[in-house]
Amino acid sequence: MSAKTGNGWVIWLSFGIGLLLSIVPMPEFLQVGRPLWLALLISYWTLYLPHRVGMTNAWLLGLVVDVLNGTLLGQNALVLVLVSFLVQLLQQRLRIFPTWQQSLVLLVVFGLTQLVQLWLYVLAGNRPPPTLLFLLPALVSALLWPWLFAALRSIRLRLRIN
Amino acid sequence: MQAIKLLFAKGPSLGVRLLVFATLSVALMAVDARLDTLQPIRDRLGMLVTPFYGIAGLPERLWSGVTQQFSSRSELLAENEKLKAETLLMQRRLQRLAALTEQNVRLRELLNSAALVDDRVLVAELIGVDPNPYTHRLLIDKGERDGVFLGQPVLDARGLMGQVVEVLPYTARVLLLTDSTHSIPVQVNRNGLRAIASGTGNPERLELRYVADTADIKAGDLLVSSGLGQRFPAGYPVATVDEVIRDSGQPFAIVRAIPTAALNRSRYLLLVFSDRRTPEERANDSALAQEQADRQLAEEKKEQGEAASSKPVTPVQQGAQKKPGVQETPRGAGR
Repeated sequence: MSAKTGNGWVIWLSFGIGLLLSIVPMPEFLQVGRPLWLALLISYWTLYLPHRVGMTNAWLLGLVVDVLNGTLLGQNALVLVLVSFLVQLLQQRLRIFPTWQQSLVLLVVFGLTQLVQLWLYVLAGNRPPPTLLFLLPALVSALLWPWLFAALRSIRLRLRIN
Repeated sequence: MQAIKLLFAKGPSLGVRLLVFATLSVALMAVDARLDTLQPIRDRLGMLVTPFYGIAGLPERLWSGVTQQFSSRSELLAENEKLKAETLLMQRRLQRLAALTEQNVRLRELLNSAALVDDRVLVAELIGVDPNPYTHRLLIDKGERDGVFLGQPVLDARGLMGQVVEVLPYTARVLLLTDSTHSIPVQVNRNGLRAIASGTGNPERLELRYVADTADIKAGDLLVSSGLGQRFPAGYPVATVDEVIRDSGQPFAIVRAIPTAALNRSRYLLLVFSDRRTPEERANDSALAQEQADRQLAEEKKEQGEAASSKPVTPVQQGAQKKPGVQETPRGAGR
């Protein structure tokens, strides 16, 4: 078992790319539906490598996001911890689901965390427009899940990250 | 084996861990929102921001580089032509401005006012936009090391853009006028009517709050900063009024305005260092500076006199040389 524990850097590389993707400038109309890259990555790694990536990693990553976005320290950390928690809670079911069913469950998970995000955002003193548009990133992320799943799975198996 | 065990590991630990992290996060947020104790940590972590935004902005910069490389000659010629026309227009305005500035200085001298006509500025480049579509904030490439301070006004070529809300060592965050948490005191340029322009979250729209139904304001009016909040310098253009809706059933008129600055297009911004001293302090300082300059001039004259003429300078001559300097001092103090 311990012989295969190399290549852990790939996980961190994926988080680095996820961070970049979450701040890359995009046109206005695409920004509203920007996928939750980090939540997706956290979900995948928590689901398939629960002994390597868990709530601690999610929390630390969230702090980096907070610094990058200039939000209150702890805001995105809490959201990502919540994603990790919900995925770990559902992992036994999620692992045997087909991909499309995983997508559906993750839609609910991401929707919930987006709701928490919005709530924290309003607590921090902002007035977002009263629309359901904040759920769009959750939908986009859930639709992206099968592709990301396939890509990360092939990387994980090829590099034998365990 | 360990992995299998972890796979089926279940129990209170999950909930407990969530509780621990949630408590930590909430505590951090509360401390960060209310106190300044986390600022050093934020500053240190803020070093991360610059390289990350640098890499994230790379594709966009590459793309603009490529389009510049391959833009056609006719396009360039057309742009050149346009820029030339623009320069001509600007120069005409500048000519008038020079005369007006001079007039302004003279009038201010008459009024014994020491208000500055010009502010010092620093050019900054945009390096990132807030990924959250509901907040209007920018990241610029100037920070604490360049003298940027909290609350500093930010302009572009056409008008006010916003203010600095977070200063990191090498970068700073700018809150735009149109953010839903931002408001700025303005006045109508035509008649001096004061109002408060609040952001709406729409990048092309500001709203004037609490404008009386009968107020003299109409579409097309230019709104300039009034300087009343003591944060923005007075007299910079902020927005033009787009529409005024007067509904007799409502206590206040609904006034919508469009920001004059190109809030979501400008790449280069100006950071303004306006004078934060009171008029008295400024008058005192300028008087002191004048006095010092006079003394220096007098000394230089004395030295020149000593060096150029081989004949000894009599005390009487020295006194005569000093006198104009002494007389000049009160004149300088009045300025």
